[in-house]
Amino acid sequence: MNNFIDHKIIELGHWVVGFFDEYPLLKLVVQILLYTLPLMLSFMGAFAFSTWLERKGLARIQNRPGPNRVGIFGLLQPMADGIKMLLKEDIVPEESDKLFHLLAPVMLMVPAMIAIGFLPVGDGLNALPLDSAILFFFAIGSMNTIAVFMAGWSSRNKYSLLGGMRAVAQMISYEIPLVLSAVTVIMIAGSLNGQVIVASQQISGWVGSGDVVKEFFGQILGWHIFKPWGFAGFIFFFVAALAEANRSPFDLPEADSEIIAGHLTEYSGFKYAIFFIAEYISAFAIAGIAVTLFLGGWSGPILSGLPWFVIKLFSLFAVMIWIRGTLPRLRVDQLMGYAWKFLMPLAILNIFVAGFYYFAEQQWGTWVALIGGWIFGFGALQLAAKGLSRLNKSPLLKGKRVYQYAE
Amino acid sequence: MSIAFFMLAAVAVLGGVLAITLRNVIHAVFSVLLFFSAIAGLFLLLIAEFIAAVQILVYIGSVGILMLFAIMLTTKVMGDPTRTVRSRGWVWGGVAVAALLFGVLIPLITRAGNTAESSLSNFDPSVKELGLALMDPYFASVGVIALLLTAGLVGAVVAASSASETTDS
Amino acid sequence: MELTLNHFLILSAILFSIGLVGALTRRHIIIMLICLEIMLNAANLNLIAFWHFSPNPELMHGPLFTLFTIAIAATEAALGLALVLAIFRHYQTIDLEQIQGLKE
Repeated sequence: MNNFIDHKIIELGHWVVGFFDEYPLLKLVVQILLYTLPLMLSFMGAFAFSTWLERKGLARIQNRPGPNRVGIFGLLQPMADGIKMLLKEDIVPEESDKLFHLLAPVMLMVPAMIAIGFLPVGDGLNALPLDSAILFFFAIGSMNTIAVFMAGWSSRNKYSLLGGMRAVAQMISYEIPLVLSAVTVIMIAGSLNGQVIVASQQISGWVGSGDVVKEFFGQILGWHIFKPWGFAGFIFFFVAALAEANRSPFDLPEADSEIIAGHLTEYSGFKYAIFFIAEYISAFAIAGIAVTLFLGGWSGPILSGLPWFVIKLFSLFAVMIWIRGTLPRLRVDQLMGYAWKFLMPLAILNIFVAGFYYFAEQQWGTWVALIGGWIFGFGALQLAAKGLSRLNKSPLLKGKRVYQYAE
Repeated sequence: MSIAFFMLAAVAVLGGVLAITLRNVIHAVFSVLLFFSAIAGLFLLLIAEFIAAVQILVYIGSVGILMLFAIMLTTKVMGDPTRTVRSRGWVWGGVAVAALLFGVLIPLITRAGNTAESSLSNFDPSVKELGLALMDPYFASVGVIALLLTAGLVGAVVAASSASETTDS
Repeated sequence: MELTLNHFLILSAILFSIGLVGALTRRHIIIMLICLEIMLNAANLNLIAFWHFSPNPELMHGPLFTLFTIAIAATEAALGLALVLAIFRHYQTIDLEQIQGLKE
């Protein structure tokens, strides 16, 4: 019964490909389309839904009704926005570098679309099941930086350039804690393959044993987030992922109160829409990789793999919306300091914690490793975080805070 | 497979030629990024997917950005067109290198033994093999590389930051 | 048409020559660094091609060697660009024809 939907989808794919057995070239084309098109279309649908979700969620947080005119509950709002964007005039600045101004949105869209191919969205459902998929994901993700720089530089506008440089500095800084916190999972799972990493999060003796209770919990309790290094790693990864995807509170490149819209300032019409889509899809991709690495990927009880993945993905996205609705934006120096002076040392320490956990599990069994890991490993991380935050404290804040103007 | 090879080769040559001929420095960096990605594609074609990922991560994600940053910090923002060298030296340089290429390298390559079949068909080069090889026979090399990277990091920071205080007087 | 080792070797020879021409003729310090990277990449392509067509690829010599080359090339690029910044601080220019401190 488990993973029923996933297996049915794969069977359906084989059935469709079976019609083209006589024509090898056509079969190849159909196979390629079957691997890519559903994924791209469903993520575009998810993008449309998530813009509605975000506007509605933010509105509810701010005590407004949100979009409610187009369609029931305003559900057709994304479509109306899309039509509006398509019909708008496309303005290219006179002095801009025309070719790269045109190329920048494409350069942002292509890596985002490739990156979602590496996600294992279900049992056996993986568009690009490479042996080093996770590494490829991070490599493709680092290409976003170039596109943002291209957009900022080619617009020939000082706000664009400032925003572009901010984005580049932010993205290359937060890539280090992002990759370092993912290293722990790769160490424990012993593979860079997404499917193997998901399989490592199902307790091997319990899943498939036939016992209902064990079957149920074996697919939940094995998630890496329930291990001390996994919990810490997930937090580091999620914070760094927010910064990588330019999401609030790290949306400094687009800080409208400081530099208008950053690298998007000179973009209008459909090019702007493509930037928007690419940013949301990269946010989805990075949330999907967080789900794969720490939240058990598609594994879960009762439901199939694909629904579980979608549920987890949208829950993470809802957390992102919640954070956007509640936290104020950081300052630039705070942003860089947080990555280099706080997240990076902690992520490196977390690698050591994961190493000790691995050897404790080999030596004394899972229970000792878990309890010892939570007490000593997590305690060490806590201590380090306390020490680092004390070290990093600005000298202005060391003494008692004096309020000059407020009562 | 051979169609992919010729396309990637054309892109690589185009990127390289543009990188050395374009006057605008930033355009040159963008075209060298095209070259790097074509090389990554060739690595994928040769079933070295780990190396392809490392190529994208290191060259496009880091070295390219580093070059852009260096240009931003040292020249005018729009990457002012570099002055052309007025002498005719570049013609002689080009002629000499072309002579080397067509007179020495390509004849030597065509005369040497040529193989078409790859033994990779009966062996799947996984990342695990690579990791095991790095840990067992090549452990000393990994240590040396780690030392080199640390020294490079410290050296780069020292060279880029403290030069103004110590040498300007 | 089947791909052979020679295809890759000739391509990498052409790419290496392009890099060499650039390094010999351009007078911009960052473009010279770019040309060095092009030459190193051509060499890497050679290594991987030799590994792919070698009789015993299971030893993984090609990817290992390339990995080390890429690490060294990255270090070289970082140090080279740091030196560019230091030169700029000292001379206020990175035009190689005006940097003649040792000569005078």
